[in-house]
This record gives sequence, C-alpha cells and structure tokens, in this order.
Amino acid sequence: MKSQTLNRRLRSWGRRQLYSFFSSIGTLLSHRFGTLMTVVVLGIAMVLPIGLLLTLENLRNIDLQQDQWGTLTVFLHMDVTEQQVEGLEEQLSQMAVAETNAISPQQGLQEFREASGFGNALDVLDSNPLPWILEVQPEWIEDQDMDQQVAALSTWLESHDLVESVVVDSKWLQRLAGLIRLGDAFVSVLGFMFSLAVLVVIANTIRLDVGNRADEIEILSLVGAGPGFIRLPFLYSGFWYGVLGAFFALVLLELSLAYLRAPLASLMDAYGNSFNLAGMSVPQVFGMFLVGGVLGWLGAWIAVQRYLRQLNRGGLLHPV
Amino acid sequence: MIRFDHVSKRYAEGIYALKDVSFELVAGEMVFLTGHSGAGKSTLLRLVLMLEQATRGQVWVNQTNLSTLSMRSSPLVRQSIGMIFQDHKLLRNKSVFDNVALPLLIAGLRYAEIRKRVRAALDKVGLRQREKSWPLTLSGGEQQRVGIARAIVSMPPILLADEPTGNLDPDLSAELFNLFRQLNQQGVTVLIASHDLSLIRRMGKRVLILSQGSLIDDIPADPTSEGFYT
Repeated sequence: MKSQTLNRRLRSWGRRQLYSFFSSIGTLLSHRFGTLMTVVVLGIAMVLPIGLLLTLENLRNIDLQQDQWGTLTVFLHMDVTEQQVEGLEEQLSQMAVAETNAISPQQGLQEFREASGFGNALDVLDSNPLPWILEVQPEWIEDQDMDQQVAALSTWLESHDLVESVVVDSKWLQRLAGLIRLGDAFVSVLGFMFSLAVLVVIANTIRLDVGNRADEIEILSLVGAGPGFIRLPFLYSGFWYGVLGAFFALVLLELSLAYLRAPLASLMDAYGNSFNLAGMSVPQVFGMFLVGGVLGWLGAWIAVQRYLRQLNRGGLLHPV
Repeated sequence: MIRFDHVSKRYAEGIYALKDVSFELVAGEMVFLTGHSGAGKSTLLRLVLMLEQATRGQVWVNQTNLSTLSMRSSPLVRQSIGMIFQDHKLLRNKSVFDNVALPLLIAGLRYAEIRKRVRAALDKVGLRQREKSWPLTLSGGEQQRVGIARAIVSMPPILLADEPTGNLDPDLSAELFNLFRQLNQQGVTVLIASHDLSLIRRMGKRVLILSQGSLIDDIPADPTSEGFYT
C-alpha cells in the first residue's frame, strides 16, 4: 500500500519533470534571438579556457623526451689527453648516462672542414685549435624530470677538472616545460574565472526571464504550484543554456582547429617533425557538456531562488 | 468546510483588515460575502488560501487548522481549493486548454487523464470549442469562464471567487452566478465575494456582510427565493 503511493508519487514527479523539460525548450524557442545571443556569449566564454587547455595538451604531445634534446656538449681543456678522456667516459658510465661520444680534435677538424667549406682557411693554422669534445646523452629515467637530470649532470661536469665548459641544448626545452607548467596554472585560473562568467551570464539571463514571467509565477503559485514546480522550468532553461553554450564552444573550437591545421603542419614539417593537431576527445566533449549543463543549472538556481524570495517579500507566495 | 474562529488580521501599520471574525460554512453550502471596497473581503479569501496568515484566531479549511501548518504546506492547501479571480489570472502565452490544465500538471497527472478532465471542465463552462484559443482573443466573460474551468478541473471541494463579476455586464453576471449555483448543486462548497447586491439578493443564498473588517451581519438563505433566472 505504501509502496503504491510512493510509486504514484514518483510517476507524478516524473511527469512534472517531463513537462518542465519540454516547456523549457518551448520557452527557449519562443525567443530564439535572445537565446542565440546568450548561447554565443556562453560559447565564447567557454572556448577560451578550453582552447588554451587544448593548446597545452598539443604542446605536451610534442615529444619533449626526444633523445637529442637532452644532449650535453662538453668542451674539455686543450691539454687533455685521450687517456684522460677515456677515464672521464668511464666515470660517466657509472652515472645516469645513456651514451657518450668522444670527438678527438682531429675528428673535429675533419668534420668542420667538410661541413663549413672553410677547408683552405684551416690549412693556414699551424696547430689544431680544437679540444676534445664529449657528447653526453643522459639516460632517460621513467618518472623523472629530464630537465633536472640534465641540470644535475651539467653541474657535475662543469665542476670537473678536465672540463672547460658545458653547453646544454635543452635550455629552451626547460623554458618550454616551464611555460607549459605556467600554462597549466593559467588554465586553472582562466577555467575558474570563465566558469564564474558562465554562471553569472546564465544567472542573469534567468533572472531577466523570471522577471518577465513574474505574472506567470504569481498565477502558478495561486493555483497551488509549489516552489519546486515553479523553479523547475527555469532550472531546465539554465541547463539548456549551458549545454548549448558548450556546443557552440565546440563548434568554434573545431573551426579554429581546421583553420590552424594546415599552417601548423607546414611549420612542423620544417622542423622535421610530423605532428597531428589533436581535437577534443570524446570524454572531454562529454565533460564539456556536463560542466556546461551543471553550471547552467546552478546559475539558474541562484537566480530563481533570489527572485522568488524577492517576490515573496510582499507575502504573496509561499516561502521558497 | 471553512471556519473562522475569532480571526483578526492586522497589518504592520496597525490597520485592522479583519477584526474578530467568526463564522462557519458547512459542506455543500453556497455563501456570498459582501461589503464595501476595503471592508476586508479579499483579506478573508486570502487567509483561506494561505496567502496571508491571521494575526489572531484560527482559520479552519477542510478540518485543518491553517495556523498549525507551515507556509510550506500552502501549495497543498491551494490545491484543495478552486479560486476564481476578478482579473481572471490567465496565462496569456498559453492556450485555453493549457491554462485549464495547469492544476493537473502541477498534480502530475497522466496526459490522457488531463485531456479528459480539461475537456469536461470546458464543457461545463460552455467553452469546449475554444480550447485552442488564446485567452486574449476571448471576451471578458469567456475569460472568466476559463478561470472557472481551471478552478473546477481538479474537482476541489471548495470554490472561492473574488468579485468574479466585477467587469461583466448584468446578463453575463447572472449567467455566471447560475453556473456557480449549478456547481454548488453538485456538492461543491462555494464562497463568493461580491458587491453586486441586487444579484446576491435574487440568489436567495446566505450572505455574510463585512464592514471595516468586522462581520456585521449573517443573513441566512431564503428558501422561497430559489428561482433565479430560470
């Protein structure tokens, strides 16, 4: 008996939800232009943080652990002998080093002669001006920051007696990693601020909507509608605004990506890097709609609660 | 059905809208409430609907003491009462059908059931063919009848009307009062606030008279004058 009334209540509840669900769509469609403007504003607000997030993810996808990028070029003192170089290589092999490659002054000169085209000019020199050079390739260890490893190795080498100087090719890489970290923080900040913007835009839109329908709300409550029933269509409207805003943001994003893809591909080609600009993944798209919907619902809730309380101050309605 | 027990309503400014009002409506009764503008008719109806709370005394509706209920229950109280307003209070952007369906949508009835009941209610007020019309395309009398259809669609045991004939010509007013009498004959308790004294007199029903917030007279029904506009 009790479960029967519960069942009936649940069904009434479901029908009320369904009614509000469809009536909210009807309201949005009944003023299409206003809805469209709100959705465009929301879409733009959403596309900014999401676009930045996507950019960062794409940057991360460029293989930052690529071998050559961590290479240290170690210039040794002029008077260093081959035995000493081998000794240093021996020492390095005990450390987190994947590979060392020693280049003798003769090799160096030869390479330079071939590569530079200054062959004849070099003949003028009495002696070989080049020192021994050691190319050190740090070992890549899982879960460890390549930058820190390179930095540690470089410090150790610089303080070594045989070493004149160390050139690290990865400085720009460190900077990029730093920038990406900064970008992550930026995405969080932007994400928060623009979520707030979305919330406020929806709350304001719903507030106006509630204001325009104050008569309707009064009539509803006079014929026995509770606050839940009055609130529901507005909450669904907010939900729709959020979801439609997310959809519009996606459209903007895909258009931008399509526009960027060709020039980016040619740029990456020039770096000898094949690179595919990634769009949103399915869970990300789903997440966007969810976040949009939840923000919309929440914004609508805030606006409706506030406004209904205001209406009620005249003692006209029920407490909300 | 409705009972007022030494009810007073005082507003913050110290003005009494109602002063120590006591009366009782038994089930199936039809009663008129009259008095000058500002005599407290509307306040009395608002107390029944829980739009206001009594400052003193108790209001009973359907054997329930409203002062023991929290305002949270006011929607439930209103659902058990059909209310008719002078200015109709129809939703302009909804069709006649949707307007009448409102109390049933709130109750969460099945659509088939809603359709059946709305059409029955519209039939009763003679507007069955106008269900797709918009309220603003109807005459004042028709709009008022839509309001009545909405009030009776959920078959509440009590019907309240606040100056239902306020904007209508005498013929339409008489027609409307006849409709109320028909509903009353079907067992609905009816309380009508009106200052249309000549019509009230001809109906021969019980009349409560308010003056400056006090109930100054309670005229019983006159069984000999039932034949109104037949």
